[in-house]
Amino acid sequence: MIFDSYEAFRAANFKPKVCILGSGPAGTTIARKLGAAGIQVVVLEAGSREFSDESQDFYRGTTVGDFYFDLDITRLRFMGGSSNHWAGWCRVLDKQDFEPKAWAPDTGWPIRRTDIEPYLAEVHDILELPDFRPDVPVSDDIRWVQLIKSPAVRFGEKFADELDKSRNIAVVLNTYATELAGDGKRVTGAKLWSNGQDAGAFSADYFIVCTGGLENSRLLLWSNQRSNGGVVPNATALGRYWMEHPTFEGGNAILANYSEFEVDAVNEAFFSPTLAAMERLQIMNFGIRLIETPYPGVKSLIADLACTAPDMAEWMSSKLSQNLRCAAQLYVAWEQAPLASNQVELSKTDVDHAGVPRIELHWKKSELERRTLLEGLRLFGTTMIEKNLGRVRIADWITNGDDYPTTDETAGHHHMGGTRMGTDVTKSVVDANCKVHGMDNLYVGGSSVFCTSGECNPTTTITALACRLGDHLSKVVTV
Amino acid sequence: MSFFIRKMSRRTIVQALIALPALSLFRTPPDADASHSDPSRADPNEIVEVNGWILKRSDLA
Repeated sequence: MIFDSYEAFRAANFKPKVCILGSGPAGTTIARKLGAAGIQVVVLEAGSREFSDESQDFYRGTTVGDFYFDLDITRLRFMGGSSNHWAGWCRVLDKQDFEPKAWAPDTGWPIRRTDIEPYLAEVHDILELPDFRPDVPVSDDIRWVQLIKSPAVRFGEKFADELDKSRNIAVVLNTYATELAGDGKRVTGAKLWSNGQDAGAFSADYFIVCTGGLENSRLLLWSNQRSNGGVVPNATALGRYWMEHPTFEGGNAILANYSEFEVDAVNEAFFSPTLAAMERLQIMNFGIRLIETPYPGVKSLIADLACTAPDMAEWMSSKLSQNLRCAAQLYVAWEQAPLASNQVELSKTDVDHAGVPRIELHWKKSELERRTLLEGLRLFGTTMIEKNLGRVRIADWITNGDDYPTTDETAGHHHMGGTRMGTDVTKSVVDANCKVHGMDNLYVGGSSVFCTSGECNPTTTITALACRLGDHLSKVVTV
Repeated sequence: MSFFIRKMSRRTIVQALIALPALSLFRTPPDADASHSDPSRADPNEIVEVNGWILKRSDLA
């Protein structure tokens, strides 16, 4: 069932056990799992079926620190959430991403990769993926990794019919919770806003917050403030350890034979470090994306090389005449070290139309990350030499220690952390089952529970975690 | 030690202190520097970074 307003939903007299806030990949997946288990669920979606400027306006906010995207541009507020502008890249976090790293404080998850692997077959069906293939070692330091370009499932479109026909799932559009109320043990209700006005109070046995990697923190911070700590009793880490995947063009490569690597449908290939290399250099995970350079770019790159290594340039030039595809731009996306100071805060001066404080995002890249970028390119360059595959040039702004360019990709629009998973209540918000510490009926879905970000796009891991949470809840919630 | 210092003039002590840093000029240069002074002895497979390029030393020929 899909309703366009809370009023219409109320008239239907549907009595859900579970209230899910948000209809993005996490919210929709959990709802489908619970619905399939015979549990009645309501999904409150703040937006409608389509994009609208009015709805997006609720997402405006400010950023303090490094340059970042406008907060109403980097996410979407309508049915299906940010899957509506997802590019479709799929990969699950590496096994090593779940492990603590001695050189990076506050890393490590309370679960292992093996805990989500049983759900990957389901994820493949949901995201319409072929099977994942194992990594291929290129050297002791670098591995070729597969990043699948999926059809970029728009959850709102793909599952609209199924949700509409479901007898166990009600989706209520244009409706969301401005705040949850709690007594330090349970969420006792939610204050709703529907179609531009106060819609009164609502209660359910369980609440699952799936409003996105920024909004989850905002809703819980505001709810907790209004309930005097009754929604997130252990709130030290709430909003903190927020992470992105900084992404910048890090240089170029001249390749002896582009076909040495397996490339995807758009002629791109991806490489990451081995755990041994990360340990040795004490760096974070990263992904280097090879994007084929157009012919004029190859010529100017070889001309640049000729100034430094004439014989090598001549050899590359001969390769160029044999094979036009012999150079690539190197885009590097890397894992941010989790820092408590990177955090979502509530604005003290600016509120949205419903009176909820807007987000003030504090975000800064660290020195460890800068070293990850430089050492990562060095690892890749050294591997190219060792395997006689080509040569790498690191961009001047990196070798010169200049500021990050503001005209580059900047980041992946991947919003992670803020309600991270953990066992230490001072450094995490939810437990290994995504339940808020100290609360009996409040759970969080989505990438805000990530403890670390790894180097890959988060949607696949979000969906796997949502399947796992759906399974868990279907055992916890009594019909 | 203190016996010799007492026997030496203050002027001699100052001159000796001034000359101390120059003593390093007479030390044998370490092997690690050989590649810079004598390219023929450098490891051709050594990784070097020049103008942002990550190269083998032999690439620079």
